[in-house]
Amino acid sequence: MNKILIVEDDITLRSELSNLLSNSGYEVLILTDFKNSKEEIVKINPDLILLDINIPYLNGEALLKSLRDDNKNIPVIMLTSSNKTIDEVLSISYGADDYITKPYNPTILLLRINNIFKRMKKSFDYLEYDSLKIYPNKGIVVKDKEEFYLTKNEMLIFTYLLNNKGNIVNRDDLMSYLWNSDLYINDNALTVNISRLRAKLYEMGYNDVIITRKGEGYLLK
Amino acid sequence: MKLSTYLADKFYALVIFIIYIIILILFLIALKLPSSIIIFIIIFTIVIFFIILLFDYFRKRKFYLELLTKLNSLDKKYLLIEMLLEPNFLEGKILYNVLDEVNKNEHDLISNLKNKQEDFKEYIELWIHEVKLPLASLTLMNRKDKKTLRELKRIEDDVEQILYYVRCENANNDYLIKEWDLDTIIKNVALRNKDDLLALGIDFKVDNCNLKVLTDSKWLEFIINQIVSNSIKYKKDKNSFIKIEGVNYKNKVTIIITDNGKGIKKSDMPKLFTKTFTGFNGRGSKATGLGLYLCKCLCQKLGHNIEIESKEGKGTKVIITISNQSIYNL
Repeated sequence: MNKILIVEDDITLRSELSNLLSNSGYEVLILTDFKNSKEEIVKINPDLILLDINIPYLNGEALLKSLRDDNKNIPVIMLTSSNKTIDEVLSISYGADDYITKPYNPTILLLRINNIFKRMKKSFDYLEYDSLKIYPNKGIVVKDKEEFYLTKNEMLIFTYLLNNKGNIVNRDDLMSYLWNSDLYINDNALTVNISRLRAKLYEMGYNDVIITRKGEGYLLK
Repeated sequence: MKLSTYLADKFYALVIFIIYIIILILFLIALKLPSSIIIFIIIFTIVIFFIILLFDYFRKRKFYLELLTKLNSLDKKYLLIEMLLEPNFLEGKILYNVLDEVNKNEHDLISNLKNKQEDFKEYIELWIHEVKLPLASLTLMNRKDKKTLRELKRIEDDVEQILYYVRCENANNDYLIKEWDLDTIIKNVALRNKDDLLALGIDFKVDNCNLKVLTDSKWLEFIINQIVSNSIKYKKDKNSFIKIEGVNYKNKVTIIITDNGKGIKKSDMPKLFTKTFTGFNGRGSKATGLGLYLCKCLCQKLGHNIEIESKEGKGTKVIITISNQSIYNL
């Protein structure tokens, strides 16, 4: 389980955030001692840090810089209410992996966190589903040396369902995922794409593997 | 200062002098001096008088001429006193000191106001910073509740508008121009409006926006978000779309935002960017008349150009032009 450390001094916000993350299957830790924040972080050694800029004692940007100066390459997402471009530019130049302003869309936040973990596991080249090998970057699915082409939309939908295999995927979360990937499709288009994906999976010999749960979303068996 | 006007101003001196000359002539005649001596004395006196007058004229003329030409050439007239050398005659010195005093006083007053405005801006920034914490908490708490989320988004948008209003009215330019990816900026706008766009069935199309633009990403995001919000607000009932298209030219990039909404009345067109102007569409709804004003103001600060074309009942097209040459933005 990936360990995420929240560095945020607003108590309500950090407990809500912790709630969201632990519900999504992460191990969550909260930094409470800001006096020795750097030492604490090094001790906890998380897989990812969600870092606010306005925190007591050393501010987030300075903390990030001193972590990076010590060659600590823990991924960092800046979570801040600052709307100044200079803060974003500074954070990125100090080595932040992403920069998100408050208030944030929870789904998008989770997607961005997921992206960072995905980027870390660089080996990921193809996904597997039963006897299918899925190459998201090439847009193809291979079954017994036979190649099937998926469109960008279909591929994204399929990989998202696959990453949540066995769980119901909320239509809205799926939509956020697609929009976050620059595919601004509407409700009808999503339905159409799902049925096209179903048809292609049928061609590959998988009938009825995507189940529609009315009012809830989709589920990949 | 013309010689003739100077002399007209010195009319009283001339009159007194002429009376003096007449008295002098009568006096000299009474002394029974030879007429050649009388003429010499008179001419000599007249010459001396005019030398004094001309000397005075040129001394003043130099100062006042400088004063007036500098006044006319300066676009910031209050800087006049800084540009002048202290004159060497009494009236000029008095004027110089008065101007200096008035200027200092005005200066104090302005810097006082500036400080107050700056304080206010800082307070607003701080306040916005603070208010975002409960907003973020509420968004997380209500992440399953679409209705609440939409209301929260409205608060967020309104809060953001205050921030940019203050930034716009303030003389300090706290933006940062850098190369940014246009599609990332547009994605942020899309994600912010995703729920509204989907709920209202508006198609959101993006074309050729994989471009680099020299801008401040947050400011441009705010500007495009205002325009997209307007398109959402004034949509038509059926088959609505909003299309964002990037066009790359040799030394500029244009972003064209087209919708097929209600459009804008021709009579409203000239006043679109005016502060607190709510046109035909805005009346009766909750329009503040600030959105487009802020867009224009922020664009001007960033050195971008914004234009609107519209046909009532057909739709609206907003064109933002961003120069590729950073020198324009300095």
